[in-house]
Amino acid sequence: MAAGNTSKRKRPSVSTGRKQAHGKARCLRILRQLSAYIDDELSGNICQEIRRHLGTCPNCETFVTSLRQTVSLCRHSPSPTLSAASRTLMRKTILETTQAR
Amino acid sequence: MNTPSTAQRQPGRASARTHSAKDFEALYRDHVDLMYRFAHRLCGEAEAAKDLVQETFLNAYRGLDRFRGDAQISTWLYTIASRACLRMRRKRKGAPERELSLEEFIPTSDGEFRLQIPIDGLSPEAALHNKQLREALDTAIDQLPKKYKMVLVLRDMEGVSAKEVGTIMGLNERAVKSRLHRARLFVRRQLSARGLGEPLTDHNHTPVRERRTVSHGSR
Repeated sequence: MAAGNTSKRKRPSVSTGRKQAHGKARCLRILRQLSAYIDDELSGNICQEIRRHLGTCPNCETFVTSLRQTVSLCRHSPSPTLSAASRTLMRKTILETTQAR
Repeated sequence: MNTPSTAQRQPGRASARTHSAKDFEALYRDHVDLMYRFAHRLCGEAEAAKDLVQETFLNAYRGLDRFRGDAQISTWLYTIASRACLRMRRKRKGAPERELSLEEFIPTSDGEFRLQIPIDGLSPEAALHNKQLREALDTAIDQLPKKYKMVLVLRDMEGVSAKEVGTIMGLNERAVKSRLHRARLFVRRQLSARGLGEPLTDHNHTPVRERRTVSHGSR
């Protein structure tokens, strides 16, 4: 979808020293779209192109795995919970504050 | 709550207040846990989270009559909480506000591409039983500049849609997705680089970049 199409035609500049150090323009173009890829927001063509690339580039494959794991860890991180006592106390404080004004 | 004496003194105002108070009771009962979870994830600790929840519900109470139901009530509360969070200047050390540029996350070496998160094939739930990993995740999120943290928390932890995050933060969807991508890349790098595991070393590249990454992660 939109996220993918926007950068479809952009060629990453290879003028900086850092990028030249790696020099894999395709990897960089794909890395820019990996969140959209993980979230299944890209068009079929772009997804296919990315899958094809991942199949032949172990570096990007590892990168996308670690990014997926990151998102997955965030999604499963434990939920902080409020004690019943704190819930009651906060309610009381809020109501007292509103009435004091 | 309104006392009977208040009602007797100012009947008209008091009935409006009672109405608000009733609505507020339901609002608080149904959403306090959601807001606390959100606040705790944003603030990283209980006391600041409670302050934020109180501030959120105080503002919600005052604005309850103006809430027209155009948005979901949870979206409205998330919006109030996000604004309150941006205003809150607590003594706590927050990450400095700065823009995260995509460039800083682009690997320059094979080694950086291959940085791994040491979860050893475990499910995320099982992996998060590891205290070290859980703390590393919390620290990484805490180190995000606020506006990136909010997007990541809302989208990847609270499960709010990108469109709704846009409504909450006053951004278009494209901006939400761009911030989300950078926030995820930041957390990935922090988790991969904290020495939790042994990132594969790159035989072709200097260790300079690697040292930089590690020191960044252990701030």
